[in-house]
Order: sequence, then C-alpha cells, then structure tokens
Amino acid sequence: MNNSFDFSNFSRQSPKGILVIYIHLIYKLIKVSWLLLLLLIKDFSKLSNLGANYLYLSLTLLLLLLLARAYLTYKNFQFKIANEHFILKQGILKKTNTSIPFHRIQNINFKQNIIQQIIGVFEVSIETAGSKDTEIAIKALPLLKAEALKEFVSKKAQFGATEIIDSDKKPLVKIGVKELLKVSLTENHLQNLMIFLAIIIGFFQQIEQIVGSLGRTEALDGLIVESKNALSASFFFILILFIFLTIVALLSSFVKVFLVHFNLTAYLTDDSFEISQGLFTKKSIVLKKQKIQNITISTNPLKKLIGISFITFKQVLSGRVNVKKDKLIRLVGCKKAQIASIKASLFNVTELENGERKYPNSYYKRRIFTFSFLFTIGMYAVLFLISSQVEIFYSTILVFPIITFLVLKKVKKRFYKITDTMLLVGSGLLETHLTYLEIFKVQNIKMKQTFFQKKSDVADIVLQTASGKINIPCIRFEDAIKIYNHTLYKVENSKTSWM
Amino acid sequence: MTIFSNDLVLELPDIKKLEFIKINKNYLKVILINAFLFFTPLFIGLIVMHQYVFTAEINEFIVPIYGIFIAFFGFIIWYLLLSFTKRKYALREKDISYKSGLLVRKITTVPFSRIQHVETDEKLISRVFGLSSISVYTAGDSSDDLVIKGITKKTALKIKEFITTKINE
Repeated sequence: MNNSFDFSNFSRQSPKGILVIYIHLIYKLIKVSWLLLLLLIKDFSKLSNLGANYLYLSLTLLLLLLLARAYLTYKNFQFKIANEHFILKQGILKKTNTSIPFHRIQNINFKQNIIQQIIGVFEVSIETAGSKDTEIAIKALPLLKAEALKEFVSKKAQFGATEIIDSDKKPLVKIGVKELLKVSLTENHLQNLMIFLAIIIGFFQQIEQIVGSLGRTEALDGLIVESKNALSASFFFILILFIFLTIVALLSSFVKVFLVHFNLTAYLTDDSFEISQGLFTKKSIVLKKQKIQNITISTNPLKKLIGISFITFKQVLSGRVNVKKDKLIRLVGCKKAQIASIKASLFNVTELENGERKYPNSYYKRRIFTFSFLFTIGMYAVLFLISSQVEIFYSTILVFPIITFLVLKKVKKRFYKITDTMLLVGSGLLETHLTYLEIFKVQNIKMKQTFFQKKSDVADIVLQTASGKINIPCIRFEDAIKIYNHTLYKVENSKTSWM
Repeated sequence: MTIFSNDLVLELPDIKKLEFIKINKNYLKVILINAFLFFTPLFIGLIVMHQYVFTAEINEFIVPIYGIFIAFFGFIIWYLLLSFTKRKYALREKDISYKSGLLVRKITTVPFSRIQHVETDEKLISRVFGLSSISVYTAGDSSDDLVIKGITKKTALKIKEFITTKINE
C-alpha cells in the first residue's frame, strides 16, 4: 500500500513535468510551423550575417518564452482529492477549476512517450464518460505516486482494487516480435495503403498551399498528363507502380502495427483487463469489464490461416464517434484459446455458441445486389462520359464477377444469434467480424421498414449502444418485433448498471 | 436475502399493440410554413436567373424548368401532407416511443432507465402556434436519439416531468 502520499491537499506534479510540458509546447509549435521552418532552412544561406543574428535572437527568445510558459503551467497545475471528487486547478491567465465525481471516472490510464520514458515519469489520464471537456491529463508523475493515485481513486470509486502488475503474474496475452511480424503480414494492407495515401495527399495539399503561389502547379499538371499517357502506353509502368504500392502497403502495415502494439501484454484480473502496449508511446490501460459495452472479434482469411484474430473492446463514447478513436482498445494476434478465455471471462457464451445461426431474409441479398450493381453501372456511365472510350467496358468481364463474389461473401457473413441475455452479430466482407453484446446494455432501439421491405415483410433493427450502433438488417418482420420487444423487456427489467 | 427469481414471462409487452398518439394538428402548418420559407428564396433565385443570368438558349426551355421546379415543390408538399399523419408517439410506464415515415417507416423506443437528459425547446414558428418539441438523449452517439416535434407546450412539459420523475425513481 502506498499511504505515503497525501491527496487531500493540493499538490503539484513532479518538477520534471516542466520539461515534459516544455517539449510538448515546442513540439506543438513545430507541428504548426514546420513548413515555414522548412522554407527558412532552405533559404538560410541567403540570409545576411545580421539577418541570421536576428533569427537566432528571436528563436532564443521564443524558446525562453515557451520555457516560462511551461514553468507557469506547471506552477498553476494543482490537484487534490476531496469528497469523492477529483479536483483540478489549472491555467495561467484563465483559471479553470475542474471537479470530477469518482463514479463518473471511466478509467485511469498510464502513458509514457519517449521523453517521459527517458526521465522516468508517467502521464496519468483520467477518462470520463459523458461530458467531453472533463478529460484530465497529469503530464508527469513518478510511478509510485501515479499508482497511489490510481489506487486511491479506484478504491473510492468502488470498482475494486486495481492490482499493480507484478512481474511473476502470468499474462493472458503476450505478443512478442515474432507474433507481431505475423500480425503485420496478415493485416488488411489495402486499408493501410489507403490511410497512408490519404496522409500523403493531405501532406501534399499542405505543401501545395504554399507552393501554389509560386506557380509550380502548371508544371505539376504537365507531369500528371504525361504520366497519364505513359500509363495507358506502358504495361511496365503499371507493374512497377503495382510493386511499389505493394511495398508501401506492407511497410505501412508494419509501421502501424509496431508503433501501436509493440510489446503488447494483457493481464486478466477479477474485474478488469490490464493492457499495455506501444513502441514510442507506451500506454497502459485498465479496462473495467463492467464498462465494456461490447466486443468484436475479427479475423481475415490470412489471419484465419495462421489461427489468429483480434479483439476490439468498445467503451462508452461521448459526443461524436470519431473524436475518440483511441477509445477503441484492440488486442491483436490472439489465439483461439485466448479468445475463448476472454469471452468466457466477460459473458456467459455457452448458450450463445450452441445457438442456431439466423440469416437475413433473401431480401438482403437482393438489396445489396441492386445497390452495388446500380452503383457500378453509374460509375461506368460517369467514366464513359468523361473518357468516351468504349474500351473501358471490356473491364466489366472482370468487375462484375468480382462484385458478385463480394456481395455473396457479404451476404454469407451476415447472421445473428440471440439468446435470453446475449446477442451475437456476424458481419464483414473479406474480414469476418463477430460482435458480442449483452442485451441489457442497449441504449435505445429502432426499427426501420421501407416501402419495399414492407412488401417482402422484412425490417431492419438498429440497436444503439453507448459505443455505437449494431445493425441487424432485413430480418422477418415477425422476428424483428420479437427482438424489439425482448430487448426492451431486458433493458427495462435489468438492475445491473450498464456502465 | 431475497431469492433471485426469474419467472417465465409468457407474453412480453408488444410494441405492435401499443396505442400511439398523433402529434398536434397545428404542426402541419409549421411544416408547411417551413417548406414555403425554404422554397421561396429558391424560387426567387430561379426568377432572377431567368431574367438576368440564363442565356437565350437556356431560356428556350424556361417553361419546362419552371414546370419541374413546381412539380418538385408540389411533390414535397404532397409527401409532407401524407407523411404527417404517420408522426405518432406513445408513452408507456417504462419507455417512450416515436414513429414516423411514409416510404421509410421508422419506430424508435428509448427506455427511461437509459435516458441521460431531457430537453424541450420551442422554435420560432412553432412558438406562434404554442407548440414545442421534446428531445431525449441517451449515452454515446447522441445524434440518433428520440425527438418528438409538434406537441403542445403543456404536453411537452408534462412528458418531461413524467420522464424526470421516472428517471429519479
């Protein structure tokens, strides 16, 4: 026990925090002005001696100013615990007083970026569900104090004592470098490529904004036209491009996986998961079982081949869904046995596993076929109008079978199983996702029926949970009503808190 | 200590048998006024385009253009009129439901035990007719929760009161 720390009076973080804040400020400054800096460095040699001196002087001044700001931020950042509330005072000119009742605290996470690792402090962030402003991050606490704080808050918040990870406890999942390699190899490379390209395009747009005024865009346009001609002319070029993109896709998968999941370790305790991972920024998270809204177990054909899948834990989201992507906690590279033990520790799944899979009505297949074919035909029409070349229609020989194949895959993967307390929804296109939800955690329920669906006597069910929607499309109207009534009954009669 | 009991429920409360209440008739006027407010500027814009912007070639087809515009407007009004009767809500002891839609029928139910907060508000035109709307919010992605527009202010406050007491029970 760490009773040596007194939280009832205001205290500051570790003085090392000044350094952490300082570097964070510099980092933020560079992030907004990197282009300017780049231009400056490029033209540095053209500067006169006097000019250079001024530049050094202003830079030094700026750095000193930031240092002062970091110091003041540190000085004005105080926290204490009183009356089951976590109270925080901060702000240099604009003083803010935040107070979070313990029962609102969702979890307490430890994080270490590279600086914090070097100087040996932890960033403690307190996550709350609901109001998005009350997210608190204490930038620098020594380990002992951080753990004492966590213990104090979690004891009082009555979600049971959190164990400090002791090294001799056996982890539930431990992913070494070799496994991580496997994971990266079997990632969805196409998706990673897209993300990477999106970043690159964003990056270029930023440059373009600056360069655009210099009249280089014309040259760029010329290049694009040229390469377009080359593209239609040479098969060789396409091959090179293909190989290049494959390498980029593979690399981006590797980088992504290694950055986020390096040294992934997960422990299972009585009422929570403790997960730590990350290469440069080490993150350790305590995930309360009770606060997990639903889990999704996903795999893809490649991963299936080597017998691994990943689990996504979904917690309460606040505000817009995309704001907090990092609230999705992912365990990659889990083996079957590990998945089974995680599932078993969360819910009672035996009845569910033995239950019968129910598939959507054939209307679902018709709907997806209609939509995807209409979309493709529309795309072809647009392409034809732009290029007015008949040759593009040759590709239909390939495109339509592929679409048919994908649609059939998607339809096949859609199913649901429902028992008294649990719901399992399967979905996916190439990947397979199985979402497990305890019915009483539903927030509200919606049923939709279009004019055409009514004719076929089917309806869509949308279950809204605190961490997003779960769809069950195109099931028989009768079944939809049954699920609707059953869900409401379960929610309204449950005494268990949903978070 | 009470013994845990879980009696078999033979018949669950059925959403199909629920008696829904139509929203206030005056709200139709609000919807129509809103539609006119939306279309009038567009129409004026079209006239301005006709007079000053369009070339003679386009103006040859000006009658069909007006025709399409008015037909579109007429269709929207017709759809609004027909779908208005489908806007209904219902309160039960433990939840609130709202259904709407002509071509796409939607029904949403929010259990009181999951409601985070309730809001009533009156928009300008609604206020003229003494109407307001009530929104309930649950946790998570709150964009899709339940909103009932076009009930009298009195009813809205009554429902709010009812839900608030139910939440605090």
